[in-house]
Amino acid sequence: MKRILLSSLAVATVLAGLSYGQKVGELAPDFKATDSNGQMHQLSEYRGKYVVLEWHNNGCPYTRKHYESGNMQRLQKEWTSRGVIWFTVISSAPGQQGYVTAQQENEYLKRMNAVPTAALLDRQGDVGRLYAAKTTPHMFIINPDGVLIYDGAIDSKATTDQSDIATAANYVSQALGEAMAGKPVSAPTSRPYGCSVKYTH
Amino acid sequence: MRHRCVIRSVCHFLVGAAWLLLPTTSLAENPGDEHVKVELVSENEAIVPHHQLRLGIRFDLQEGWHAYWLNPGDSGEPPRIEWRLPAGFQANSIQWPYPTRVSTPPFVDYGYEHQVLLSVVIRTPSGLKEGTTEKVIANVHYLICREVCIPGQKQLVLELPVKDHGTASSNALLFESTRRQLPKPIPEGWKISATSTGDEFRLRLRIGKVIGSPQFFPLEPEQIENAAPQNVTATPGGLDLHLKKSSHLLKSISRIKGVIVVAGTAYLVDVPILQSSGRGPVQSKHN
Repeated sequence: MKRILLSSLAVATVLAGLSYGQKVGELAPDFKATDSNGQMHQLSEYRGKYVVLEWHNNGCPYTRKHYESGNMQRLQKEWTSRGVIWFTVISSAPGQQGYVTAQQENEYLKRMNAVPTAALLDRQGDVGRLYAAKTTPHMFIINPDGVLIYDGAIDSKATTDQSDIATAANYVSQALGEAMAGKPVSAPTSRPYGCSVKYTH
Repeated sequence: MRHRCVIRSVCHFLVGAAWLLLPTTSLAENPGDEHVKVELVSENEAIVPHHQLRLGIRFDLQEGWHAYWLNPGDSGEPPRIEWRLPAGFQANSIQWPYPTRVSTPPFVDYGYEHQVLLSVVIRTPSGLKEGTTEKVIANVHYLICREVCIPGQKQLVLELPVKDHGTASSNALLFESTRRQLPKPIPEGWKISATSTGDEFRLRLRIGKVIGSPQFFPLEPEQIENAAPQNVTATPGGLDLHLKKSSHLLKSISRIKGVIVVAGTAYLVDVPILQSSGRGPVQSKHN
């Protein structure tokens, strides 16, 4: 009963820190959020692993560029197979573009063959505001020590055109690859591009 | 979808007839078409040999929708134009009128509402013959947003006669009013400097008495927090404008470039940044 109540609420709870926005090189703030299967995740539970946060809105043309081309799914598959925790985060408020129920999200993940570790339903926008997530997509990477090592765009070509993906530099793969090889991240920030996150007003 | 022409001459006739009716022809349909009209327009009704040609992409946006400036701010994407010009013609870059702050809390975009003309100077070759026509094609990619964003792409075509004199087109007044919105060089006697202090850049404007608050629009992304208020403090001989540094700015920068709008006129700013402590930027801590 308690479990049902929890999952139906699908709450995202911000645990620490009232400051707005994060800085690369600093400890990423902890949060708790419920996924589309009703399971609760707390960032600090994943210490020792790399964590990717991917802000998502299934109606946004920039998100669609990376899903309809299969690019996002390829990244999810590649990096989760290498032990990375990948959270798709949906901060669209009810009534706004990209808002989904848990069931709708599960259907979407299945239809798109998306394989994040989990899709977090952040309908109050608490996690989004905590990280100052601006666009969909907007990508963050947290290292095994819990430090934010990347905050920015998915790649170097800020367009809605799928044909640009092949020639763009993928900043997420670049940062994860460098960090895992023990190198400093050469591009730790970039301008995130896409639609604005559709927060509750 | 492409229609196949069984009888080519009929198709040529139909296409030609459509162009006669509509000097600007769009060859693509977009889901956002009901929210924006995009046209290729000319300041002059003709091309005059040895005179530069001024063309533009005119956006007429439905209430609530906006298109983007060169630096779009927190989200979005600026329009792009790919030209297909007659031999010897050359397009300069877009002349961007100064934008407005389009606020959808907690974000601020830099863009245009209602109407904007992105004008471009086209250099024409010598040896153009009067009485001929030249065809210009602009392939325009753009994004418009309201609560949602819709990308669009249009191929726009304009045919202009070559004449020994030009007459103003119906868009000439729009070209004229747009020219007043283009950033100008800083006037003689003004002095603008920039200092990096803690978590802000301070623009010091020695420009005399100012009515209203100036607004700064950065040309480079991720240098200042777009949505932060730009506070003004009075100084002898002018004022200071306080710009909050972007949390994405991990290294110190040596120059700040942008457009400053003072009492309805825009000026180009490109100044070195002085470090206030002499030891590099001070790292700020918020808690």
